[in-house]
Amino acid sequence: MTRKGYLVKQKEMGRHLLGVFPAQYPKEILWAMNIVPAEIWDPPLEMTLANAHLQPTICSVVKLGLELILQGKCDILDGFLFPHTCDSIQNLASVINDYMKAEKPCYFFYHPKAPYDTASRDFYHNHLKELVSSLEKQFGPLDPDTLKQRIHQSQKVSALLTGLYDLRAEGELNITNEEFYRVVRHGEYLFPDDFIPELEVFLSRNKGQGMKGQAPVLLSGVLPNPPEILTLLDDLGVRVAHDDFLIGSRRLLVPANNLDDPFENLTESYFAMPPCSTKGSSIGERAEYLFRLVDATGAKGVIFNVVKFCEPEWFDIPNLKEELKKRGISTLSLDTDLNQGLSGQMVTRVEAFVEMIG
Amino acid sequence: MKDLGAPALFRLQHMQKKRRPRKPNLHLGPPLKCADRLREIMTRHYYLSRFVKGAKPVAWVTSGAPVELLRVFDFYTVYPENHGALCGAQKLGPEICAKAEDRGYHPDLCSYARIDIGHAFSGKTPAGRLPRPDLLFCCNNICQTVLYWYKELSHYWDVPLIVFDTPFNFKDIQESDIRYMVSQFEEMIPRLEKISGRKFSDKRFEKIIGLGSEASLTWGKVLATMKHSPAPMTIFDAFVHMAPVVSLRGLPVSLDYYRILLEELEDRVENGIGAIANEKKRLMWDNIAVWFKLRDWSLLFAERGFNFVAATYTNAWAETIHYLDPESPFESMARAYSLVILNNNMDHRLKLMEGMIRDYRIDGLVILSLRSCKPYSVGQYDIRRLLGERLGVKTLVIEADMTDFRTFSEEQIRTRLEAFFEQLEE
Ligand code: SF4
Ligand code: SF4
Repeated sequence: MTRKGYLVKQKEMGRHLLGVFPAQYPKEILWAMNIVPAEIWDPPLEMTLANAHLQPTICSVVKLGLELILQGKCDILDGFLFPHTCDSIQNLASVINDYMKAEKPCYFFYHPKAPYDTASRDFYHNHLKELVSSLEKQFGPLDPDTLKQRIHQSQKVSALLTGLYDLRAEGELNITNEEFYRVVRHGEYLFPDDFIPELEVFLSRNKGQGMKGQAPVLLSGVLPNPPEILTLLDDLGVRVAHDDFLIGSRRLLVPANNLDDPFENLTESYFAMPPCSTKGSSIGERAEYLFRLVDATGAKGVIFNVVKFCEPEWFDIPNLKEELKKRGISTLSLDTDLNQGLSGQMVTRVEAFVEMIG
Repeated sequence: MKDLGAPALFRLQHMQKKRRPRKPNLHLGPPLKCADRLREIMTRHYYLSRFVKGAKPVAWVTSGAPVELLRVFDFYTVYPENHGALCGAQKLGPEICAKAEDRGYHPDLCSYARIDIGHAFSGKTPAGRLPRPDLLFCCNNICQTVLYWYKELSHYWDVPLIVFDTPFNFKDIQESDIRYMVSQFEEMIPRLEKISGRKFSDKRFEKIIGLGSEASLTWGKVLATMKHSPAPMTIFDAFVHMAPVVSLRGLPVSLDYYRILLEELEDRVENGIGAIANEKKRLMWDNIAVWFKLRDWSLLFAERGFNFVAATYTNAWAETIHYLDPESPFESMARAYSLVILNNNMDHRLKLMEGMIRDYRIDGLVILSLRSCKPYSVGQYDIRRLLGERLGVKTLVIEADMTDFRTFSEEQIRTRLEAFFEQLEE
């Protein structure tokens, strides 16, 4: 079923739909309020209307998100949720809410920036509750037991995804890079009741020896787009052994034990998640994280596949490359526009990189 | 700290200046007398910074950070953005940015950051030398960029970074936001004591808050003199004269300076002396200055009798300062710093601009869309549309960078400016 078809069906089932912009937000709360978060990252649209509102130097995640709204493709949604994420999303959220007078309610979620201390944790904890209070006005009361159930499901999703990532790291998933991300990215809109069984079936079907012999690399950046990057790596016999994508491993929930206080549980999990540029994590933490992934997977190199004009990512890259270089790990960085395919020059650079690490 | 050599340097500069007096321009009013004093203050600030290491703890600070707290611990503060503007004005932007780009920093990143990082790698600066920081102090009330940038420096130099995180006000500020910010101040104090080796003092803090708020209020009065016609100064002057409120806030020198500047401006108002010879139209500027074009554009506009009398940028250091209250220093500081234009929603920005357009009787608006600065620029196209619809104000949008002129298209911008001038003259 297509994403659109799925969302229509969810609506018919009585669920609410929220369009969610990147990147970090407490999806468990939305699930518990019978809301399906439909994440908006890289809709396959031609840019026709957003350019009248946004400068040419704004990243295409932000532009495509706005384009989706302007083309009237969000009519089915009951509202939007804007996590804070970066300057561009922050302003876009405010422009949509204040200047375009979106007909749908807009919700906002600010996540504290690192380095963290007790104040950050208290703020996050309270802020979760504030989000709930504002959502309750539209979607009715949140039942704490349902929230606990949804957190449990979220932990299950995370465990399955981690399993999938681990098998891939071992070269024991009999699938292509392209297939891997197609499934992982279903989590951007599937309700957990549907995503869990899909992941279970996918895992059991594809556990195998498929990818062992291939050259392992890590991918870093926001998301695997243009998708052609994945097919190119498939064609070159390269296995993505792990990732540090914002849509990928950086959002893998680290389950917290205590479920008595679900808000405390979510807070604990949030602060335990991998480092991320959009949270202000330090270079040291990110470098450590990449080293761990390289060590665990035997990756031969790291490809930074970065969205053009993405400040949080582009600031980190020189130091990360430098740190990786000190450890003898080769790197390649690509400056990409969403849905624009790979240029001949990029293909050549990727091929040369693969040959080098070969 | 001993003021070694600075007086001699000022005398030398003064003599050099005397030898090469700038030719009076028919289109401009008499230059501000205070300009010499300003030059002296800023030269001294940069000059002393060369010798400060060891005598005082040094902090590099973002322009919107609550510096009053650092003053309690006697930090010598360096403002990389102000340094970036200085490099921009001296047309050194591309050269220093390139030092960062050589190490992999993307040319699309904010050019203040690239200049600063380029300077860190190369030591290149028109200020002689900047002292290495003992502390990086970053407040994201102006952008998240400063957070990304300061953590790079923190990694490169292995210097502690303190972040003051100000939740963006998508809607009205919440009590929980204030609580969060106050708690951060409380958490910072022991760290600041450790880094500086000095103790926090409530009394001193209150006094500094008083000084800082008084300087900003006086700066606000300075800007308000431009409500008069003819305006006694232009925004091009204000871009330069804002340096003390940005870099020396909380120190007596900034308050003293704005008092004498205000006096001079009030005197000019009383005597009908304008900053330009023939003020025909009054304009407003949105965004940071294009530093490498400051002089050229001040003449270009003055020649036609167009005077910039207001700017959202210069206003930012006066806008929220009335919140500062020595009686409740932490809460009031949280409000004053987190409600600034760039940390506030778009509705607030639009209302603020509408108010300024009315108060300053603005005929035309120039919006600078900065490739460096997402928080200032995203939303400007809609601002132009809405202000046009509501107030019918004539508006020009130009795309440029504040320091990096490699992307500057002289001809294209000139053509657009000419068309705007025609529109204004209609
Ligand atoms: S790609 Fe980067 S700049 Fe764009 S929305 Fe995502 S984090 Fe922000
Ligand atoms: S120019 Fe903009 S992005 Fe750069 S430091 Fe200033 S506010 Fe931040």
